[in-house]
Amino acid sequence: MNDVDWVQLIIVIVIFAAVTVMGFMAARWRRTGELDSLDEWGLGGRGFGTFVTWFLLGGDLYTAYTFVAVPAAMYATGAISGFFAVPYTIVVYPIIFIFMSRLWSVSHRNGYVTPADFVGGRYGSRGLSLAVAVTGILATMPYIALQLVGMQAVFETMGLGGDNTLAKDLPLLIAFAVLAAYTYSSGLRAPAMIAFVKDGLIYLVIAAAILYLPGQLGGWDSIFDAAKTKMETTNPATGKPTGSFIPGEAGYSAYWTLALGSALALFMYPHSVTAVLSTKNRNVVRRNAAILPAYSLLLGLLALLGFMAIKANVNVKGLDGLANPQLAIPRLFDQEFPAWFAGIAFAAIAVGALVPAAIMSIAAANLFTRNIYRDFLKKDATPAQEAKVSKLASLLVKFGALVFVLGMDKTISLNLQLLGGIWILQTFPAIVVGLFTRWFHRWALLAGWAVAMVFGTISAYNVINPATKKHFGGSLANIPFTETQVYIGLTAFGINLIVTIVLTLILRALNVPSGEDATHSTDYLADAGDPGVKDLSELLDEGGAAPAKS
Amino acid sequence: MSKLSAVKPAYWIAGVLLALSIVVPLLVSTYAKDEPRLWGFPFFYWYQLFWVFISAATVSISYRLVMSVERKRRAAQGLDGAADKEAEL
Repeated sequence: MNDVDWVQLIIVIVIFAAVTVMGFMAARWRRTGELDSLDEWGLGGRGFGTFVTWFLLGGDLYTAYTFVAVPAAMYATGAISGFFAVPYTIVVYPIIFIFMSRLWSVSHRNGYVTPADFVGGRYGSRGLSLAVAVTGILATMPYIALQLVGMQAVFETMGLGGDNTLAKDLPLLIAFAVLAAYTYSSGLRAPAMIAFVKDGLIYLVIAAAILYLPGQLGGWDSIFDAAKTKMETTNPATGKPTGSFIPGEAGYSAYWTLALGSALALFMYPHSVTAVLSTKNRNVVRRNAAILPAYSLLLGLLALLGFMAIKANVNVKGLDGLANPQLAIPRLFDQEFPAWFAGIAFAAIAVGALVPAAIMSIAAANLFTRNIYRDFLKKDATPAQEAKVSKLASLLVKFGALVFVLGMDKTISLNLQLLGGIWILQTFPAIVVGLFTRWFHRWALLAGWAVAMVFGTISAYNVINPATKKHFGGSLANIPFTETQVYIGLTAFGINLIVTIVLTLILRALNVPSGEDATHSTDYLADAGDPGVKDLSELLDEGGAAPAKS
Repeated sequence: MSKLSAVKPAYWIAGVLLALSIVVPLLVSTYAKDEPRLWGFPFFYWYQLFWVFISAATVSISYRLVMSVERKRRAAQGLDGAADKEAEL
């Protein structure tokens, strides 16, 4: 396995180089002003229409890690841990249809760049805004790290690596240096442009895999039967079936809570909000809710590649000699496709890692700049200073992710990513409920968030992997005092809501001041072109978000 | 505002369609079975993939319904936003 496949490598390098050139050229794409404000650098000028947004959100939400991890989960343990991604990405769009336009409108009328900006303005509480910002940054960092893990799986399959640490990590270092450079110079425009290439390649690869591989492997019937046989076989380490081919009754609650919890969490991630706020009017995101399911279909078909890998009997031993299900898909391509097409598929995954990694680092940097730097460190920061701080922070965030992947065990990133999903869901009450009503008290929201964060973290820590006996063994646990197994994030979310409601009642009864609301009820329905919806030059003059008004 | 209440059913229908698209795909007990297979796909798998299309349709219909209400409301308020202009790129 240690021989480098030159055909694959050359194709990957060529596509990678082309994408790099695009990334730098993107700085000049649809420019309206200088790249020295967060609206320009961090939100691409806030001018993306339905078409660009479809690619941008698709590239952002359906990451390289998703494309490697979902089929890997299908390969390893079947439907509950893998195929739940399909109902997850089905129900997410009706959910965001309901509230995302309101977030767009209020953000544009008040110049908000991050979800934490909105929370701070709505509740008149920098503390709550800080909580949302810190949660966002914490949840995003390991997610960026996992994009690198996806890339690593590809490089390893191509035969790059070996015992020499430098040779093993060099491709990743180069890829990341390039990514950091063009994100720094072009901002959100770079991933928006590269997303076209990424999605084009991914659609091509999946179409080929779905049309070509079943014939090679003896048809869909036999692929599903092979998966069924594997999932029903007893795992010697645990004494239980390997996984679930079709969830049994005991697995229903796990399946739907994973789907619902993940769907509620997805648009709380700062990188999703960044992409939504970069659109040019309040309806772009709604139209996208109707057309983004195309990616869900893609993801569903991709998940089934995990079953194909079972049927094809791929070898998932890593260079370290240990079985690593993350290698299932790269190895399947390597084994079943001619080298040149496997090269295209690998390039698709590698480029697929760059788009979300860039958007995530921009989103995390925006959070740092607006809700930590400007709110706490330098209150009179100018837009140019904000953009500069954000650019540097985006470098720092990526560097941190790189250190994570190279310096620490991969499982730590995986654990933190699992925790990140649980954490980010806890910002839902402050953000989404806040879009409709201000009934929740700011301190109640803060308390609910804190309790749920602690509960979620402890519950996740207490899940022991039955095979390896390690902590953070998964994201499922019983609801306290019951035998019903559900997604920990959703349990924590329930506790969050209960604490928030009870404390709101108490705080309101005690007449504790609930803070000033900087937003107005008409803000939530405003659209581009309405009075008060600022265009860029006005925002720049004022230096971003307006101060609190009655 | 009496004119506006006449179009409210559009909001209602959109709400019901969206609620169905959130709840029905999560009713695992209704589809956790192998038969009938379609092109070799067990029911569990093809049914969920099929829901991708249903959900795209319900969200599109909801979009049209909600937009018709919002256009009327905006017209009544004398606003002419970018709501119904879709410029490319």
